[in-house]
Amino acid sequence: MKLFFKKALIAFVAASSLLTVPAFAQETVKVGMSGRYFPFTFSKQDKLQGFEVDVWNEIAKRSDYKVEFITASFSGLFGMLEAGHIDTISNQITITEARSAKYAFSTPYVIDGVQVTVRKGRDDIQGIEDLKGKKVAVNLGSNFEEVLRKYDTNNEINIVTYDTGIEQDVALGRADAFVMDRVSSVQLIKEAGLPLQLAGHPFEEIKNAMPFLNKPSQLAIRDQVNTALAAMRADGKLAEISDKWFGTDITQ
Amino acid sequence: MQSSFDLQYIIELMPILLKYLGVTMEMALWGFLFALILALGLALVRVFKIAFIQHLASLYISFFRGTPLLVQLFLLYYGFPQFMPIFVGMDAFTAAIIGLSLHFSAYMAESIRAAILGIDKSQMEACLSIGMTRLQAMKRVILPQASRVATPSLMNYFIDMIKSTSLAFTLGVAEIMAKAQMEASSSFKFFESFLAVAVIYWVVVIFFTRIQHLLEYKLNKAY
Repeated sequence: MKLFFKKALIAFVAASSLLTVPAFAQETVKVGMSGRYFPFTFSKQDKLQGFEVDVWNEIAKRSDYKVEFITASFSGLFGMLEAGHIDTISNQITITEARSAKYAFSTPYVIDGVQVTVRKGRDDIQGIEDLKGKKVAVNLGSNFEEVLRKYDTNNEINIVTYDTGIEQDVALGRADAFVMDRVSSVQLIKEAGLPLQLAGHPFEEIKNAMPFLNKPSQLAIRDQVNTALAAMRADGKLAEISDKWFGTDITQ
Repeated sequence: MQSSFDLQYIIELMPILLKYLGVTMEMALWGFLFALILALGLALVRVFKIAFIQHLASLYISFFRGTPLLVQLFLLYYGFPQFMPIFVGMDAFTAAIIGLSLHFSAYMAESIRAAILGIDKSQMEACLSIGMTRLQAMKRVILPQASRVATPSLMNYFIDMIKSTSLAFTLGVAEIMAKAQMEASSSFKFFESFLAVAVIYWVVVIFFTRIQHLLEYKLNKAY
């Protein structure tokens, strides 16, 4: 029995040594992301990459911080932020009223929203006000039909619901435009390789930013991040990163 | 998006996933070691009916068997740090090991207790009659026999534990399941990715099943 207790003791000592906190350099910012949101954050050939990763590496270059990426499933990220396991989340978090009440957000770095997309070269459509009398495709099950109806009080837009293939029908000219969120539209255009273009700016804007806890130490990090983001916006680096992943600028 | 089965992708993915098998196995092995120690303690407390502590042990077993492992992991990693700042420093890997140990020790304690109770009472009485203490009797006579009885069910829990480590990604541990999910998110080859990870778990479990058979063979030699 004595031997057994000795072994148990060794095991517990080993366990408690696992518990000790690794001493991180103070300037390390721990950034949580899902690693599962292509092309924002994903892993390919065991290398974490994407828009979010590039943005943070650039923030690190322009501030006193080192960045450590922590990947966890999306459902765990806000819990990790609350518990202090990470400093912020970089996973296209949309600023909502409820979240703003609880967290301090950085300045938005991606602007999403409802986007009109048309065939390449159709410059007569520049936004929702040009859709009157046009055939507009939306995906079945999305809420974009509802959004359109809200703007289309006189029922002047011919809204057609599609199960699949809205991008093909617009590229072929069977429909004049399709309506979807901007980020998905941009990805679809890039992946489908069809002659399509965004028509004007998104409406009903959605702003995505990085949430921080409302504590002085965390607000200090946020302020540095904001400074870096502003500089990246000013000298075009942010647009360049966006262009690399999306072929267009989704940051404004 | 229609695509055909891509065997080449699985072959390329395997070495990437295998790099993280160590994390998975480390969690399972540490978890099992601590769970075994805890479970033995709990079982003895309940077998000896030690005043007061036995009720605590029952409460412990009731709680950890009565709530899902995922809930326990979330409580440990996301819940406690809000009340006790000391838990903030605990990394996800440690939290996963602690969570797995606590959870499985509750089940394993019952297995061990059943194995001990399965040894005929007369043996303990015989030991006591020749002047051994109850602890001595337990160590020299009862536990060696009980361990043989308990081995298959304990191995069962170990196998279950290996697979349960896949929950650790919800805490942010980069183990094989996490890697499979992340690789699939960019390649969109979900079937291939999850099939690859399933095969790895399966092969590992087959390996430990072989070890179980060898162990049982050794323990049965005396009979």
